[in-house]
Amino acid sequence: MLDIQGVSKTFRDADGAAWLLADRLDLSVGRGQIVAVLGPSGSGKSTLLKIVAGLEPSDAGSIFFDGADLARVPPEQRGFALMFQDFALFPHLDVCDNVAFGLVEQRQSRRHARARAQELLAVFGLAAHARSRIWTLSGGEQQRVALARALITAPRLLLLDEPFSSLDAGLRTGLREEFVQRIRAAGMATVLVTHDESEARAMAQRGYRLTGGKLYSLW
Amino acid sequence: MLLAPLLRLLLEGVSDSPLDMLRGLWQDDYLRWRVAWSLVQALVTCFSALLLGLPVAWVLARYDFAGRTLVLRLLMLPFVVPTLVAAVGVLALWGPRGLLGGPLGLSLEETPWLLLYGNLFFNLCLVVRAGVDALGQVSASRVAAARTLGATPWRAFWRIEWPALLPWMASALCLVFLYSFMGFGLALILGGQRYATVEVEIYTLVAHELQLAQAGALAVAMLLLTGAVALGYAALEQRLSAPARADGVAPTRPDGLRHWCAVAAALAVLLCFCAAPVIAILLRVASAGAAVWGVLLEPETLLALWNTLRFTLAATLLATALGLMHALAARRSLWLRAAALLPFLVSPVTVALGLLLLYPQWSASLLLLVSAYAVLAYPFVAKSIGAALDSLPHNLLQAARTLGAGPWRCFWRVTLPLVAPSLRRGMAFAAATAIGEFAVTLFLSRPEWVTLTTLIYQRLGRPGDANRDAALALCALLMALALAAFSLIEQPVARPLRAGASASRTRFHA
Repeated sequence: MLDIQGVSKTFRDADGAAWLLADRLDLSVGRGQIVAVLGPSGSGKSTLLKIVAGLEPSDAGSIFFDGADLARVPPEQRGFALMFQDFALFPHLDVCDNVAFGLVEQRQSRRHARARAQELLAVFGLAAHARSRIWTLSGGEQQRVALARALITAPRLLLLDEPFSSLDAGLRTGLREEFVQRIRAAGMATVLVTHDESEARAMAQRGYRLTGGKLYSLW
Repeated sequence: MLLAPLLRLLLEGVSDSPLDMLRGLWQDDYLRWRVAWSLVQALVTCFSALLLGLPVAWVLARYDFAGRTLVLRLLMLPFVVPTLVAAVGVLALWGPRGLLGGPLGLSLEETPWLLLYGNLFFNLCLVVRAGVDALGQVSASRVAAARTLGATPWRAFWRIEWPALLPWMASALCLVFLYSFMGFGLALILGGQRYATVEVEIYTLVAHELQLAQAGALAVAMLLLTGAVALGYAALEQRLSAPARADGVAPTRPDGLRHWCAVAAALAVLLCFCAAPVIAILLRVASAGAAVWGVLLEPETLLALWNTLRFTLAATLLATALGLMHALAARRSLWLRAAALLPFLVSPVTVALGLLLLYPQWSASLLLLVSAYAVLAYPFVAKSIGAALDSLPHNLLQAARTLGAGPWRCFWRVTLPLVAPSLRRGMAFAAATAIGEFAVTLFLSRPEWVTLTTLIYQRLGRPGDANRDAALALCALLMALALAAFSLIEQPVARPLRAGASASRTRFHA
């Protein structure tokens, strides 16, 4: 399904200093699989997700999905969903319109998109918050909205960037199980980026550590 | 529209040689006095604004009293009051038959005080606002640390708060200097023969004496001086562009007579310098009787109102398009970002003169007039949107892209709605600028394009109480229009884009 071949990326700061974030990386993720990438802050995990999503160019290498090279495919046409560490919910839209955003971009009518969003919000236990503004929700509720927004278009690949890092420990465990159930039910390939190994082991079938631009298999 | 006229002006002004030009200016006693007085009145305004404004800012930043929010909002008022209205307000207060000048028997005409007072009306609020914003950036924990280490409140101010305030104050004073030095409307009406500034002299040389070369030389000398100050301002702006500090000192309720006296004194200063001219106009119009309002229905007034509205609408739309494009392009270019400041730093008189020299065949063209309005107004839009774009979290746009939105859809569905409050604010300032525009209109307008500002100026030049009262009523109308823009500006922003980020830092630049 997802096939990353020889991807390299060097980051240069304003002073000209360079860091090798990815050094000829190879990674494959099959349908219905959750693969975790672990590593400390600044190791390039989030950059890897952005390269896969098409938000950042790689210096070398290729990314294939179902055999097709994605080099010239812009992010909006890849059919992937990226869930950001801070959720990146749109503050000018209410909960329902946040969730419906992707369907509207698929040229579905706003009415239909909102109806679908309402259904999904009900599944996530957020039906009562459909017309609420984002900042009125708790951290856990915002996270569910972000996941609902990512799932509503039935993406081919789900990219999760530290999805639980901004939550407290109690909420984290409960939501983690809920996440895994929903992702498995949707049957999509998933790449999870996290610095928490116990979280990764609880969620993913395979795990890798990204250090010095190289991926090392953990399990 | 801006650079080409400036270059043309440079060619006109330095037709001999730069040194000869400056020597010529310096050897002319009359022109030397004009330049020296322009400098002195700008410097005195800076000093007075700092002396009065800093204590007022400190009181407003540190004491939380009923009506404080309203006072902070009203500090914006002088920025949208047209200069001509301010000048008439100063005369209504301190003129020979003014509300205070008459009973006190003071005759301030042909003295420098009227112009200095008018300058303070505009610039005191700017310094106070900058001071309040700067004091909001002072770290509460640093002040607390100083107090626990034995510093008295005064020592804590001097050793902790003042160093943090200094760049903000310097930045604000650069602007105060520029506005006072380049001011035209106030100097034309309040300066009289003796205390008019260089800008008025340039206008006189062009409009009455047709001495374009000498006017050009003066304009170039002005550009050199303002350019130097502008460079200092730009450097300070860059230094101040750090994100807002989250742990500012929270204002407290005034406790005891001393605190309340400080609050009362601060409000009294604001009343005397920032509110009194506006109140004077309203009181004079109210006491003139109902007949004075008849001027509002005269065909001449209706034509001026129509012209003001249509020029403002056209200029605001053009300024919005220009400002939006400039702000988007400036995200990738530091030079373009700095260029947005240029129209702030070039006086309207200089722009108008440059346009006249460059496009003499279009000197009475409506397109040129509206374009000049737009050039003077668009930096408000560009700066306002630029600040909003800077504070826009990048990942929101990335999220939209991964959800299927192309670049144009991202702009339409995410960027534009999020910068809309700033866009509205910039447009409102642009509209207020266009409503009160005076200098460019005097240079480039035709008789049938009379606006409210030029009509007020005409009325002031005609003899008799009836004309004076008519000018006051027209000022009230112009102020009402400006206030409509003001109410648009001060609509509260619903929600910051992210915690701790100041989505639209309210430090005002123009």
